[in-house]
Amino acid sequence: MQPGPHSSDSPIRFSVLHRFLHLVVMIGFTGLALTGFSLAFSATAPARAFMWLVGGTGHAAWLHRFCAVITYGCVVVHAFWFLYFKWCLDGRWTGPDSIFPVRKDFKDLRHNLAYFLGREKSPPAFDKFSYIDKIDYWALFMGMNTMGITGLVLWFPEWFTRYLPGYFVNIAQLLHFFEALLAVVVKFFIHIGMAHFRPAVYPADTSIFTGRSSHEQTTREELKI
Amino acid sequence: MIAKDWISLVMIAGIVCISILVGGPLLAAENTDSWTENRVCLDCHRKVNINTNEGVVASNSFCLQCHSKPDCNRMVGKKRVSLQVLPATLQDTPHHYSACIHCHTDVARSPHRSESGAQCGACHTPHGEGTAHAPHLRVDCQACHFKSEFVQLDSRDGRIKLSRSNTAGEPIAIVDHGLANASDQQLCRRCHRAGNVVGAPASVLPAKSVLCIVCHPAPASVGHGLFWAATVIFLLGLFLMLRFWFIGAVQGEEKSLHRKIALSSDAIWQTIFSRQIWTVLKVLIIDIVMQRRILQESVQRWSLHSLIFLAILVRFALSLLTGLLFSINPEGELALALMNKNHPATAFVYDLLGLFILLGVLWAAIQRLVVKPAHVIAEIEDNITIGIIGALVVLGFLTTAVRLLLTQVPTELALYSFIGFSLSRLLGRLSVDWQSVYPVLWYAHAVMGAVLIAYLPFGKLKHVFNVPLTYLMEEVSGIKREKRV
Repeated sequence: MQPGPHSSDSPIRFSVLHRFLHLVVMIGFTGLALTGFSLAFSATAPARAFMWLVGGTGHAAWLHRFCAVITYGCVVVHAFWFLYFKWCLDGRWTGPDSIFPVRKDFKDLRHNLAYFLGREKSPPAFDKFSYIDKIDYWALFMGMNTMGITGLVLWFPEWFTRYLPGYFVNIAQLLHFFEALLAVVVKFFIHIGMAHFRPAVYPADTSIFTGRSSHEQTTREELKI
Repeated sequence: MIAKDWISLVMIAGIVCISILVGGPLLAAENTDSWTENRVCLDCHRKVNINTNEGVVASNSFCLQCHSKPDCNRMVGKKRVSLQVLPATLQDTPHHYSACIHCHTDVARSPHRSESGAQCGACHTPHGEGTAHAPHLRVDCQACHFKSEFVQLDSRDGRIKLSRSNTAGEPIAIVDHGLANASDQQLCRRCHRAGNVVGAPASVLPAKSVLCIVCHPAPASVGHGLFWAATVIFLLGLFLMLRFWFIGAVQGEEKSLHRKIALSSDAIWQTIFSRQIWTVLKVLIIDIVMQRRILQESVQRWSLHSLIFLAILVRFALSLLTGLLFSINPEGELALALMNKNHPATAFVYDLLGLFILLGVLWAAIQRLVVKPAHVIAEIEDNITIGIIGALVVLGFLTTAVRLLLTQVPTELALYSFIGFSLSRLLGRLSVDWQSVYPVLWYAHAVMGAVLIAYLPFGKLKHVFNVPLTYLMEEVSGIKREKRV
């Protein structure tokens, strides 16, 4: 989605806005997980230790809401970026640079699995975002909205129950907890494993922090051509 | 028979001895005054769990057994005052499901009377700067939130409370436990009217704005239309300034604004996440906050500039800290002390910093208008800036003085605002209706503050943004510093 080339030696893969949003979400998400799970598993020793460290449940609640606001703020900013990209930069939401799933992703998946099984000689030539990147992205994007909406119901139950039956608060609580479990497993294990522990970039893919493509990605883009 | 009597006697003696041996220490361990002290009814009667609806109903029916009857009275002098509580008046309030003893925490005892009154703070936190600004920290919740219109200033603790008597001095009953509509401004006129007895200004003043945070603890909202206008002008000025910066080429890019922003933000990013950040921080602390480069030029100029700049910076930092502490824990002692204009430490520090700013402004005025050294090029822009800041501080001190005069803060507390207090002593000599003057002063101070914020990106105060940025960019780009005059 980065428009135009860059004068420096390696191409820019992520703009400053995207690097910044990733950094804020990273901090916010970790904070949410720590404070949230300390509440959900409040009887356990690590949770009690954490609560003691941050100065009690009141402060943990404040931190949780603060992290929620900055994290969801990133979703909002990102949504505005999408519109800016389309309308002001005349960018394309489709095509090889797109983050939306396309038919090629399924072909790539089949090709990649075949490569893993030794049926293909080379891995598929991915576009800018591979199907793995896209799963990561959309899992987080939808997860954030689920967590955001259910979280708001739990934050302002009086307001929501003016319009919704009371059991929606219970549903929100259940969804909030299970989606949190899912999100933490996906982000902390699958996302980090897929993004950083791949043999090509191990031990870490720094492109989301530096904005510059790593060597492997440059070759991958060359493969595409 | 004799043997049996002996056995009985020994047994009785034994029981008495054991009772004394065992019971004595137990009684001693308990409070020895316990027999003469208040007895809490619910210690013996069924202690219900008032955190459940059933418990609330059970507990309330206990209270209402007497308090629902019209003949539940109390004698004040020769007058009968009703102690009846109409449960129906609680129906529309959030307290519908609360037990009486949730709020009246110390009444369920003998003798049956309350020392502390209803405790709102057990569940609710104090209002921040937005809803009810700092002077309301000394107003009891009930004074605003109850429907009774009679309020009084309690001279014993200096708090404004719901009055137990009407304006004619006759005792009144509070049968209605409903809550007043706090969003109705008419409610504020209970105190904020001409000739009130609680020391409130004669008209309802708006809350402070987020703009005021430069010098005062402030809410996170813009507020009054006056502040909105200032905010819009300020943001417009910032926008124009930014646009001006981006007219030039960025790393060879001359046309696309998007590319210019992308390139410059990338440069900032690369600087932040590199070793250069330490140089940047060093410049930020030594050259920008501590103003080393001004000190290198002249100690006098550094002193003058620091009196204004550092004093405002410290007030800004204190206000930010107050806001942060209050948002984390609204009941925290430190947050409340920092918000309370009458707290000795807060009053003293804010007055002292205000004095520093005023001294700096006076010094600058003397330099520019009287001494006129060779390096000073007196421009009208500078004079406007100094004039605005000076007027702002003078009006601030006057407002403080009149506030102290109005609210009848006890001398031992008021004298920590040493400038405001002295001024209030002087002003007190004049026979003026201060309740009507205070709003005028407040608005004058607020207008001056709004003008200062709006003027920031236009006049000489633009240097607040330009100079630090130039220092940082020079440092990062490795441009050699030249001596400025």
